[in-house]
Parts: sequence; structure tokens; C-alpha cells
Amino acid sequence: MYIIVVGGGIVGYGIALELQMLPGHEVTIVEREDRRARELRDELGEMVVHGDGSEVAFLEQIGAARADLLIAVTADDGANLVACQVAKHRFNVARTIARVSDPRNAELFHLLGIDSTISAAQAVMAQIETTLPEHTVVPLMSLEGSGLTVVDLHLQDGAPADGVAIRDIRMPPSALISLVVGADGPIVPDGNTVLHSGDEVIAVIPLDAEESMRELITGRPAAG
Amino acid sequence: MNVVIMGCGRVGSSVATRLAEEGHTVSIVDTDAFAFSRLPSQFKGRRFLGSGNDHRTLEAVGIREADAFIALASGDNRNILASQRAKHIFGVKTVVTRVKDPQRSELFAQLGLQTFSPTTIGADLAHDALFNTADSGSEA
Repeated sequence: MYIIVVGGGIVGYGIALELQMLPGHEVTIVEREDRRARELRDELGEMVVHGDGSEVAFLEQIGAARADLLIAVTADDGANLVACQVAKHRFNVARTIARVSDPRNAELFHLLGIDSTISAAQAVMAQIETTLPEHTVVPLMSLEGSGLTVVDLHLQDGAPADGVAIRDIRMPPSALISLVVGADGPIVPDGNTVLHSGDEVIAVIPLDAEESMRELITGRPAAG
Repeated sequence: MNVVIMGCGRVGSSVATRLAEEGHTVSIVDTDAFAFSRLPSQFKGRRFLGSGNDHRTLEAVGIREADAFIALASGDNRNILASQRAKHIFGVKTVVTRVKDPQRSELFAQLGLQTFSPTTIGADLAHDALFNTADSGSEA
């Protein structure tokens, strides 16, 4: 794969180091500031180029037309959005990922066709959500394009699903319980599997079914 | 018309003044308080200190009630981000975006923004002025 990383700050540098370890991929790091670009070049070599990753002509020059993935991780949300849109619409790059500093921009970026966004706030929340009692439905990953998401559920004592066989749980349509981690370890459940409080349940659910799943496994709607 | 303008530079302040004189409701946003000194003292519009890319500032400005948004900040990317937000998140009907880079201007015009490139316009004027010396006293 040919991967373009726009932004050679701490995030871009970290990604470059990780990508370097994966053999068989070609990676280009774009850094706009001359001094920083030279610094990175001293350490990472040829893969670092000095230029503006939101400029059409520059992206063309570094071969964006044959890129499979563009990751824009500068500290500037505007630059990240534009780099991804130029990549997508001018050079048909299959997948674009943008960093958002302002988490409220994530919605707009998705609306505009950016495949994924990453924000420090989101990442930290994902880490602490499992430890917050009011967060009993933790989104693990979304399945691109299908409208489905994989969630991690912690079954609460006395919840509607507590002590009930899966076939008798009134689940949202097209929700699927894929794995139950109970006291005896993980099992792939069937309709007869009875859920118990304390079980950890991995389920595939439609994006809009998070609330009804939350009620089933906690017996109460979301806090706040 | 209720117009929100992002950027109170030379162009922003001029168009704001003109629109206000024509009787439109004008709100102008800039991150630099000094920028507002470009507006005439009798300017009837509202001035907002803050970023046109900051949701709180935009809410304060009343972006949801705006009929039009004009992005005239100095950075192309900032203008493009703010314009797409105004259009797609806040539902502003008419959005005009200054994009200095002609190629970016063209691409985002294809993506539905009403963009203009001062670079292209300036180059055209300079070029045409060479062959139209009758106009030589005037400055655009």
C-alpha cells in the first residue's frame, strides 16, 4: 500500500515510526514547516517531504493518484479536512482519515465523506468508558458502510436481560449477540444461552439501537 | 438579508460596510480586535471577537438565522472548513468562500461551494491591463 501522512508533528511522527515497522508499504510524510521537515528527514530519511498537504499541485507531485490511504494529522482541522477532500475527490484515494482537534468537527467530516476521524478526546473517552458505571454500552468499532457497530455490554443486576435466555430477550431488529464472557469464560451463545448479571456481552447492533440495548442490559436509559 | 462575514480584513470590512449601507443585517467576526478599526465609525452591523471556526462564537453570532455566510479569513483551509460547516451543519443557504489557491478554489466549487479566487481575478486584471492602457489611472 502507498500511504500519505499529512503533518509531521508528534502524531504524524508516531504514525511514521509505526508504519516504518510494517514491511511492504510505501509511506510519505508531508511536513509544511521547512525546519521540522529537515529534522524529520535526518531521522526518517527519504520518506519525509517538505510541502503543503492541502495543495492540489503538491499532492499530485507526491503521487496522490496512486495512494491507497491518506491520513491527515496536523493540528489544524481545516488543513486536515481539505487534505482529505482533495485526496478523495481529486485523486480518488480510497480511504481518508482525519484528526480533529475540535471534537464537534467529527460530524461535519463524516458528512463530507471522510472515512474516519480521530480525536484525543474520543480516544481518552473510549479508554475510560469501561470504568465509568454509567457507561455500560461501549462502542468498540463501527462496521464501515453497514450501519452496524460492535459494542461491549456489561450486564447489570436486575436488568431486563438478567437471567433470561437470548431467544426471549426482545432485542432491536438485526441486533446480534456474538460472544458472552461469563464466569466460565467466553462462549459463542445460541438462543438457549441464559445471560447473567456480570456477564460481558459483545454484540453487533444497528447504530441507532444503542439506547434500547442500554435499557435491556441496565434497565435504565442513559444517564444525562 | 441577514449576512455573517468571517474575517474583517480589507475585503471583509469593505463588503460589510457596503452590505450594511444597503440595509442588510450584517455580523462580522474576527479573531483580532484591531481588525474592526477598518470599519467606519458609523458601521451599523455587529462586531464579534472570536473565530469563525468556533462553534460558540457562531452560535453567539446567530449563524442558524443567517441567510448568507461569506468566508474571507486569510487562510484557504479555514475558509473552506467554515463554509462547509455553515452550509451543511447550520443550513445557511448562500455561502461564498474566498480561496486564494486557484486549484483548490476550482475543486471546492465542484464540491458545491460558491468559491472565488482573488489570485485568478488579480492575474486576469493584471494581464488585461497591459492591453487596455486607456484605464491606466484606476486601481482595482
